[in-house]
Amino acid sequence: MTPITTELKVSAFLAYKFIVKGNRGTSALTILIMALAFVNLMFTTSVFDGMGDATEKQVIDTLYSNIVIEPKDDEVYIKNPDAVVKKIINVPGVIGTSAQYVTGATIAYEEKSGAWSIRAVDPDDEQTVSLVPDMMITGEYLSKYDRGEIIIGKEIAGGQGGSLEHISLGGVVVGDTVEVTFTNGVKREYRVKGIFDTNFIQSNQMAYITKKEIESVLGIHDMASQILVKTDTKGEEDRFLNQFVELGVHEDIKPWTVYAGIVATLTQSFNVLNTLTGAIGFFVAGVTIFIVIYVSTVSKRRQMGILRAIGIKESIIIRSYVFQAVFFAVCGCIAGLAIMFVILVPYFTKHPMVFPMGDVTLLIEQKAAIMRSAGLIISAAIAGLLPSWRAARETILDAIWGD
Amino acid sequence: MKQNKQDTIIATRNISRAYTMGNMQVTALNHVTINIRRGEFAAIMGKSGSGKSTLLHQLGLLDTPTEGEIIIDGAEISGLSESEQTIFRLKKFGYVFQEYAILPELTALENVYLPAMALGLSQDECVTKGMDALEKVGLAERSDHRPREMSGGEQQRVAIARALINKPKILFADEPTANLDSISSKQILELFRALNQDTGQTILMVTHELEDADLVDRVIWLADGKVMEREE
Ligand SMILES: Nc1ncnc2c1ncn2[C@@H]1O[C@H](COP(=O)(O)OP(=O)(O)O)[C@@H](O)[C@H]1O
Ligand SMILES: [Mg+2]
Repeated sequence: MTPITTELKVSAFLAYKFIVKGNRGTSALTILIMALAFVNLMFTTSVFDGMGDATEKQVIDTLYSNIVIEPKDDEVYIKNPDAVVKKIINVPGVIGTSAQYVTGATIAYEEKSGAWSIRAVDPDDEQTVSLVPDMMITGEYLSKYDRGEIIIGKEIAGGQGGSLEHISLGGVVVGDTVEVTFTNGVKREYRVKGIFDTNFIQSNQMAYITKKEIESVLGIHDMASQILVKTDTKGEEDRFLNQFVELGVHEDIKPWTVYAGIVATLTQSFNVLNTLTGAIGFFVAGVTIFIVIYVSTVSKRRQMGILRAIGIKESIIIRSYVFQAVFFAVCGCIAGLAIMFVILVPYFTKHPMVFPMGDVTLLIEQKAAIMRSAGLIISAAIAGLLPSWRAARETILDAIWGD
Repeated sequence: MKQNKQDTIIATRNISRAYTMGNMQVTALNHVTINIRRGEFAAIMGKSGSGKSTLLHQLGLLDTPTEGEIIIDGAEISGLSESEQTIFRLKKFGYVFQEYAILPELTALENVYLPAMALGLSQDECVTKGMDALEKVGLAERSDHRPREMSGGEQQRVAIARALINKPKILFADEPTANLDSISSKQILELFRALNQDTGQTILMVTHELEDADLVDRVIWLADGKVMEREE
């Protein structure tokens, strides 16, 4: 019996020679097809991952920041939020906090009205946790002592080509006066100081007034519905949570993910779609690779018969074809990644896709790339195995002289 | 008789090979009994379709007779498994086919040493033995050439060198000169003759060229799958 190392050596030798000295054009075409199969497999995933990433960014940048501190279960407000802020502001990695009131309100303009959520903030603090202040499309953001002024999102204002035009105020512009009815029945008229557009349908339905203003509406002081906390990293929220508890914060502390119900639902539907398109992609890639390898092995049928006739074991021959297929698949994956990184990613960075969660570019997750490469390489190995295995089944004479 | 039996390297006892095509039965070989002696250069001759290739395939373990037995080196081989037969072919047999049947991706030397490599020889041994074999067929200086850079006759000599690399007990050749011009054909036959005379190589060659009969020790005549042996 020939030891397995000899077999492997001969298989590798044959595979190497077939690849290096074989038809360059065929090899290049095979690799190109593999690369396209890989890109096809990666593309939708990257779009979905890009959408997920964009949504997460939006939720953090324009809605909840990284960590939200809320009143304990049985309370409506955090009392003395400054004290809470003082406890955590010096934690390394915390780069901003904004204690604020959140209230529902009906906003009306001329014939139109609707119910939206209003946040009452300290504009200076808000700058440290949110990007909304940088996203004004007309007018200006609030300043600390503003009274009687309101900032509204594009979907509230209307007339800006938003997706929710039908429930908007139908074209409010800066300088218009809107009537706001708070949940406690208080009615105030506010001048629209600015309109912002975050590109995110969710945060574009928010309105902002100053803390000073709301405190006069509600008749309370030094309270907060929530404190948003900005950290310098994403994904380490749990570490901060524990640290805050240790520092004596007794309120409810939650990471942004808890609030991102919208992200969760989106992510879930993405995952379903992703799995589905992935499965179809794998099937298509598998069939493509199978055909490419099959054609190349079928054309080598006679050669395989001759090798068997002179006493080369079938397993050596089969393995040499599997090696070739795997080699082509690996090259295909590398070429596919190159196409993604050199052509597609820069292209979509320059021309992002516009979705309700904002501009989306391709996001190539390492895990997705590895999984798909592995899947492709395994399909290729099977594709190389089956035809050569089948060919090795037929008699030597049929392989050499049969038709 | 005893002496004779020891000298027999390959023998058949009443082998037949029938093909079933639809409901038709084609008998390609019909109860053939032959003995090939060690060191013999024998030719199998006969008209096209007389069963020459079929006989060679049975003897070379490339096919299995439907009836009868084959004894190689004193051993009955019908009991060998497929993988045992593969190793048998690798170690004890060498083949030269009508088509040159060498791999276009490999150089002459690589083609020649492939069977040695499959036996587990080191790279150095492979190269040494491969060069020796190429020397024997007069192509040592073409060792780095690829098949497409060689003439048909040269490719066939590479195939012969490959067949010789593992020092086979028997060299099988099925019309090795059929695709060659007359000069190359003569070269190949003279090479076989020399191999047989110088190293005592047993050679079994199918041919339909009548003039080849003069070069060989013995001709086995086939007609309609039956032997009509005419000793010289
Ligand atoms: N695979 C096969 N199936 C059916 N008939 C075959 C097959 N191989 C050979 N034969 C038949 O067997 C006979 C002998 O063939 P072969 O040995 O190739 O003849 P030769 O080599 O002498 O020209 C022919 O009649 C041929 O048609
Ligand atoms: Mg023939």
